[in-house]
Amino acid sequence: MHRRTRRALAALVVVPLIAGTAACSSGQNDATNGTGDDHVTISIMGKPAATNTAAVELFERQVDEFEKANPNITIEASDVPWDAKTFATRLAGGSAPTLLRVPLTEPPALIERGQVADIADVASELDSFDDLNPRVMQFLERDGAVYGIPEKSYAFGLVYNRDIFEQAGLDPDSPPETWDEVREYAAQIAETTGKTGFGEITTNNSGGWHLTGYDYTFGGSIIEQDSSGEWKASFNDDSARDVLELWKAMRWEDDSLGDNVLGKQEDLVAEFTAGNVGMWVSAPPDVYPNYVAAGGDPEAFGAGPMPQGGADATLAGATVLMVSAQATEAEKAAAVKWIDWRALRPNYDLEVAAETAKASAADGLPVGVPVAPIFSDEAYAAYREAIDEYVNVPVENFAPYVESLGAFEYVPEPPVASQEIYAALDPLVQAILTDQNADIDALLTDAETRVNAILAQHAS
Amino acid sequence: MTLAPERLGGAVSDRATRAAAAARRRRSPLRRRAALAALLFLIPALLVFGYFAWWPILQSILLAFQQTNLVEPAEWVGFRNFEVLFADPLLPKAALNTLWFTVLSLAIGLPVPLLCAVLMSELRRGGTLARVLAYLPVVIPPVVAVLLWKVFFSPGETGVVNSLLALVGIGPLQWLQSPELAMPSLVIVATWSGAGTAILIYLAALAGVSTELYEAAELDAASVWQRVRYITLPQMRGIILVLLLLQIIGAIQVFTEPYVMTDGGPANATVTILLMIYRYAFLFGNYGVATALSVLLAIVLIIISAVYLRLTRSWSSR
Repeated sequence: MHRRTRRALAALVVVPLIAGTAACSSGQNDATNGTGDDHVTISIMGKPAATNTAAVELFERQVDEFEKANPNITIEASDVPWDAKTFATRLAGGSAPTLLRVPLTEPPALIERGQVADIADVASELDSFDDLNPRVMQFLERDGAVYGIPEKSYAFGLVYNRDIFEQAGLDPDSPPETWDEVREYAAQIAETTGKTGFGEITTNNSGGWHLTGYDYTFGGSIIEQDSSGEWKASFNDDSARDVLELWKAMRWEDDSLGDNVLGKQEDLVAEFTAGNVGMWVSAPPDVYPNYVAAGGDPEAFGAGPMPQGGADATLAGATVLMVSAQATEAEKAAAVKWIDWRALRPNYDLEVAAETAKASAADGLPVGVPVAPIFSDEAYAAYREAIDEYVNVPVENFAPYVESLGAFEYVPEPPVASQEIYAALDPLVQAILTDQNADIDALLTDAETRVNAILAQHAS
Repeated sequence: MTLAPERLGGAVSDRATRAAAAARRRRSPLRRRAALAALLFLIPALLVFGYFAWWPILQSILLAFQQTNLVEPAEWVGFRNFEVLFADPLLPKAALNTLWFTVLSLAIGLPVPLLCAVLMSELRRGGTLARVLAYLPVVIPPVVAVLLWKVFFSPGETGVVNSLLALVGIGPLQWLQSPELAMPSLVIVATWSGAGTAILIYLAALAGVSTELYEAAELDAASVWQRVRYITLPQMRGIILVLLLLQIIGAIQVFTEPYVMTDGGPANATVTILLMIYRYAFLFGNYGVATALSVLLAIVLIIISAVYLRLTRSWSSR
């Protein structure tokens, strides 16, 4: 090749490279310049998925109204859901959202790592702050600091398909209440309809999550703190053994768990919406909107109590709003204002509640899904009354679940290293469900060793 | 007086050296200018590489000895990340799984594309179509392909692969749900999606083999196997060796298949080293341990490459 041509080619290659770097650096500058003293721009999570057009419209209306009411605040909303995998790197790169919307499993680790801000000073000024449910707030407050505000809370319950119950000759108004009944019902569904009687999930930490929830219903716990304050695994006992025996029997004796036991929550929601699964355990109020948005029949949706093994307890969680540790004071204040606007007022201020319910109903969104309240019971009762005329959810289908909420003890998820513990428990659950000859005792001992190693590492 | 032969030789060689040096001197300003120009043109690329590749590599080596939450300044912890790593009971399992995947994917992934390429090069007609068909899987985005295979491998009698096997009276097999079959299933997917590229490279190498050699072999009445054994393979050994090394490195770094299809399950049967790194970093937020494992993996890969190159040096340069 001629030397001049070669040089020209080299220049062609090099110039875009330089331009690319220049573009990267100017982008960074813009991001930092955007946050002046007077005007605040906050990036927030929690915009509904684009596929849920009605919910997006309502959300965007709320943003417009908020920006009108607070002209010095600009909201940049994202519909990207919480992802622990990308969050820390975004935090390091300075592109983490100001407002995080995370499941209640995340706050302990986020607080431990110093990745979220203390919002006590601004949050305590909110009208509704003192009325927030202490059952949820206990996980968000530490030594007087407040790290988050719940958007909604949930408790595990049984999600079931009423149509499949009828096809299997079961009464859809009386879902199973104990694990023995669950096993019976599941076998009957599998035998008469050929569908999965009871769906189970085991990957992406969901196996450990479910084992934890089921273990609670037998009176067990996953980790315990000893007198010296050290956390230890506490699941190598009869209650966890009961759960594993139950799974083993349903999988290998009754064949009522279906073929696919190596999936995660989203997979099971899809299978359930498609009408292939009789029952499974999740947070019914959380599943319902996704189920309906994906085309599920509202009338076929059933929510029952968390099946019990004798303890009358259920795993409780919440969706929590937190502020990034990198937020400035102004951004923090703006984020809390938005939390109040979007998450608290529509559930607390009765006028706003009725307006929001009316608008949601007009948009075809589910209104009045019975939930575990984030406020006191009195505040929740007043809210239900205010939105009553707009309720479009078959509330009676949730009755067995709602009744159980008052009856059960709420047990939180492990407060230390919950995701790592779940990850260590996944293989245990998978072994039971994929290997007919799995040795429960050996697996429990092995998992105990692993969890203790994780806890020791956390303590050091 | 006569000159001793060695003296004469020395004088001749001296003269030659001087002449060469003079020639170099004559050429050198030009050469130096060209080298300078090349360097100038290279600088931006070097900067970009340095900033986006070499600097992060250096940083990550440092990170292996630190603990950080990516918010506060990192804390120096010496070899503690490595201690944590070696205390993890999953590490030997993941290492063995990765080795098993590598062995399986070489056992299938090396001969299959080579055989396909040799057969395709023998095609008189439809060669282009065959090449397109072979390369098609590479064009499909990896995650899509892997998710498709997840559906194919659905257990039970209605699964795509199982219903095909049922025709010959096998199964139904549990595939990804079985601790024994999960890894071979992943290897099948990896081979399927990677074979196209290897086939194309082998085909290109085959096209470079001189036809005269085959003609001569045919005159000598060599069989097809003899032609492959004594002409094709030796002529392609350079390419085969490079591809083999790339395959080994690629297989040891397997991630997409176990991540998307099994998440390391069932019962840790498909947990690989990269999946562990991923979990340490992005699930548990322990970047120090994750980078410590990455550094170890890089060292192992460098050693394997060096040993491999040394072992195959004689064969490749023959």
